[in-house]
Amino acid sequence: MIEFKNVNKWFGKLHVLNDINLTIPKGEVLVICGPSGSGKSTLIRCINRLEPIQKGKIIVNDVPVHDKATNLTKLRADIGFVFQQFHLYPHMTVLENVMLAPVNVKKIAKSKAEKIAMKKLEQVGLTEKSGVHPAQLSGGQQQRVAIARGLAMSPKIMLFDEPTSALDPEMIGEVLDVMVNLVSEGMTMCVVTHEMGFAKKVANRVLFMDEGAIVETGTPDKFFDNPKTDRAANFISMILTH
Amino acid sequence: MMAFYFGQLVEIFPFFLKGLWMTSKIAFISLVSCTLIGLVLGIFRSSNSIILRHLVGVYVAFVRGTPFVVQIFIIFFIFPEWGIQLEAFSAALLAMAIMGSAFICEIVAGGIAAIPKGQWEAAASSGLTNLQQLRLIVIPQAMKIILPPLVGQYVLLIKDTSVVSVIGVMDLTRVGWVTVVRIPEGLMVFTLVGALYFMISYPLILLSNYLERRMAV
Repeated sequence: MIEFKNVNKWFGKLHVLNDINLTIPKGEVLVICGPSGSGKSTLIRCINRLEPIQKGKIIVNDVPVHDKATNLTKLRADIGFVFQQFHLYPHMTVLENVMLAPVNVKKIAKSKAEKIAMKKLEQVGLTEKSGVHPAQLSGGQQQRVAIARGLAMSPKIMLFDEPTSALDPEMIGEVLDVMVNLVSEGMTMCVVTHEMGFAKKVANRVLFMDEGAIVETGTPDKFFDNPKTDRAANFISMILTH
Repeated sequence: MMAFYFGQLVEIFPFFLKGLWMTSKIAFISLVSCTLIGLVLGIFRSSNSIILRHLVGVYVAFVRGTPFVVQIFIIFFIFPEWGIQLEAFSAALLAMAIMGSAFICEIVAGGIAAIPKGQWEAAASSGLTNLQQLRLIVIPQAMKIILPPLVGQYVLLIKDTSVVSVIGVMDLTRVGWVTVVRIPEGLMVFTLVGALYFMISYPLILLSNYLERRMAV
């Protein structure tokens, strides 16, 4: 479903993605972790070409993402993206946030889009907040709206870029619960996160990155309990003592 | 003597109203055209295309770096040498459009630049086209930032219309000049001219202050 072939990317002289090869099959839940600056956010931002790559190939749903001629609008409509800082639209209500893409990208009639949006808000437990503006919500609620916004396009893939890192500890659970529910629906997901509990509970595979390269992959249990490389072991001990 | 001149001034007051009408007409058309052109230029100035950005940058720098009076002279006196002959009224409107749009361009570009990158990214991620990102997400938010300085710029532009009198447009300022020849009571004549300008610009000053206060909240 998602395929990276010898992907390389530079920010100026900095080699942020170093020869990445990766295949993510349909239905897989992949957790990506690694120290900050390791390239994990960049990696998932390449999947919908929020970041262009300089070398290699990325194929998503049979679409060549690396190809400059590719119609991004259509590609992106099938991929939901959840940001660390939510990035809800502050000038719109919660409902309008969720309806926006279905109405303007898929050209769904407003009344129908509203029904879809309300259903997605129900899924994240926020129907009663549909009329308020994002600024009136807590961080956890905002992130759940952001997830509903992504889901409203009925995407084939959901990407999460550190979805709980900007949240107060007591709000992390509500967001992870929503994500766990998504997994049970069979959604293909790539999640950049250090939430070990989440990874152990639902991830099929953990991918550990450092300095722009994939250092280690494995099942969550194996990776967290018996890491193969010193770098991974170091990293795990660091997030554990944290 | 002063009373005599005052009587004369009252007598020719309709002449002032004509000037006021001309000034209002130029101001109104200019504000609309400057806003539309400035909005488009401001969007170009914030675009991803380096060529477009720099092209507009050069335009803005040139317009902002030269006196308005010189720009009007070029349009009215030099353009005809290149085969572009405009009457004073059209030349005045063209000059105003070029000058005002450059200033408004910078205000618009500043407002767009103030919108966090994440807003663009979120909109792009959900499949909106560049134009939709701009129209639905960025411009509505940038408008709140743009509005107070924009209205402030309107006040400046209204006052700048007085410069068009140098090429013979019979606006409020020129009416003042012409009148002073017949009624040599400069203070009285130009106080009246100033008061009439103030009548148009003061409501906008109030509006600008109000918008700025509302923004601060």
